[in-house]
Amino acid sequence: MSTTPSPAGTPAPAALVDPVTERAHALLAARLPGVVQAQELGGRHPWIRVSVTGLRDALRLLRDDPSTQLECCHLISGVDWPARKPGDKAELEVVYHLVSYALPYDAAYKARRGPQAKNDPWVAIKVRVPREAPEVPSVMDLFTGADWHERETYDLLGVRFTGRGFVPRILLPEDWPGYPLRKDWETPTDYHGIPIVPPEGL
Amino acid sequence: MSEPTRPTIPAARPPSLVSGGEPHHASVTPVGGVAEVHEQQPLVGQDLRTEELVFNMGPQHPATHGVLRVVIKSDGEFVQGLQPHIGNLHRCCEKIGESVPYYQWIPYVDRMDYLAAMCNEHIACMAVEKAAGIEVPERAEYCRVIVAEVQRILSHLFAMGVYGLDLGAFTPFLHQFREREKGLDLLDHISGGRLLYHYVRIGGVKRDFTQEWLDELEAFLAAVEQRLPEYNTLLLSNHIFQQRTAGVGVIDRSACVRWGVTGPALRAAGVDFDVRRDAPYGVYDRFEFAVPHGHSGIAGVVGDCFQRHWVRTQEVEQSLRIVRQALKQMPQGPVMGKVPKSLKPVAGEVYVRGENPRGELAVYMVTQGEDKAWRARCRGPSFSNIAVITETAKGTLLADLVAAIGSLDIVLGEVDR
Repeated sequence: MSTTPSPAGTPAPAALVDPVTERAHALLAARLPGVVQAQELGGRHPWIRVSVTGLRDALRLLRDDPSTQLECCHLISGVDWPARKPGDKAELEVVYHLVSYALPYDAAYKARRGPQAKNDPWVAIKVRVPREAPEVPSVMDLFTGADWHERETYDLLGVRFTGRGFVPRILLPEDWPGYPLRKDWETPTDYHGIPIVPPEGL
Repeated sequence: MSEPTRPTIPAARPPSLVSGGEPHHASVTPVGGVAEVHEQQPLVGQDLRTEELVFNMGPQHPATHGVLRVVIKSDGEFVQGLQPHIGNLHRCCEKIGESVPYYQWIPYVDRMDYLAAMCNEHIACMAVEKAAGIEVPERAEYCRVIVAEVQRILSHLFAMGVYGLDLGAFTPFLHQFREREKGLDLLDHISGGRLLYHYVRIGGVKRDFTQEWLDELEAFLAAVEQRLPEYNTLLLSNHIFQQRTAGVGVIDRSACVRWGVTGPALRAAGVDFDVRRDAPYGVYDRFEFAVPHGHSGIAGVVGDCFQRHWVRTQEVEQSLRIVRQALKQMPQGPVMGKVPKSLKPVAGEVYVRGENPRGELAVYMVTQGEDKAWRARCRGPSFSNIAVITETAKGTLLADLVAAIGSLDIVLGEVDR
């Protein structure tokens, strides 16, 4: 790589503010006051955290507004954040990566990209819900492709997507116990009499 | 495929076999009730009872390219609705990513899209490198591009050949597999594996190219370049192939964007977007290549099966260009950077996108300062690409459903991960 490397492990300098995330943040702050809860506009993974109630409005605005045009829901991921020390909130996080194919990307920003910088037009929108009652409104009607991603997030992490009816599992069998990507999940010893022996170290 | 010669069917039985030796002209002429039958229209609803039939296609159906089960509701030859069922090949790639150290996860990533293992490794390694701030030597970046583009050529050769097979053309499949075998040998000689390589490592690549290998690569490129027009003659300009694919399984831009369809299918819908050019990673910004995308100047409709196939043929040519440029530009130097024995990236996140032969592979990795990832989420392009079939195939013929699934070129290993 042509640019000087940063020392191992250090995040990218905060000065590199991502233009797309910055624009999305300004738009949300102006049009939907009170929805944005936290944000990080620079670095290698900029994100905006919105409230659960404002999620659908925020995603619809980002999709339809001509200044962002984040029309494609690229990926929905769930992340488990159990309480690791007393006083921590046990939460589940759902991350929506939205991508634009219509928006011409900022050439000036592209020019100063480095190995640590984000250089593509996507925005990460996060929501956090309590781990005991993880209910997130479905965005399937806004992004049709979110259907399977939501099913997978329910299947592996147990996030309940409301407003879309019954959410079937997608990868695991219908009668599979629990949600494997939760940090407190324990591999069952058998499934319908078939022994499950995890290899050493897993 | 040449036009099959039709066997000549005798118009009537030979006179010698007809009793009395007299030709029976009377039996040929429609008489009596025949004309009346034609007047009893419509037959549907009166004489013939029709009903909707729900049946399974797969999981062992050859045209589903793996263990995909599609439940089809059909009315005669027409698809009324369908629901794909996936998960038969679920191998917990993301759970394993959280359970094993970063180094040990990379070979598992190969198994997602087993026809594009080099591309998977490339992107997964980039995610870890970005999280840990590891610098990759320049020569290694070129090595990665070369093997990834060779892999793309092989994957597209496979896709094009098997697509012909789906539509009943056996010959192109055998021809394209001849070149594909040479390419697999090539990657075998550099990595030691035929399909799953683990050649791209965190911090660089495993081995440097030898002169013998580069000669072999040159021969492979020349062979593909020479044969490509032949393949195109066999399929693209084949009348039967055109009839089976043109205007069939149209996925337009709006459907692609709504469903998150990426890769050749997105470009066939007229979207001029390729991650390698528009959000370049590695050293892709140093090469000149075109991004073929569907348009009205070629046969078919923008976004149909024919144009998806056409995009793949053009991408093979562009990949050849990229490999040739990379070979010219490649500097001398080490192929492995300085990587700590115990990799513990600080808490943070990365999101890395890359262009796989089937679409955009993305890795969203959450790190927590441990030697394992907190979350290793992979976006398999086939996962989103196959979901669109529920919308596309509605109302089409059953035979066109096979054409549509084949043209999306899915790999079930990546759908289920």
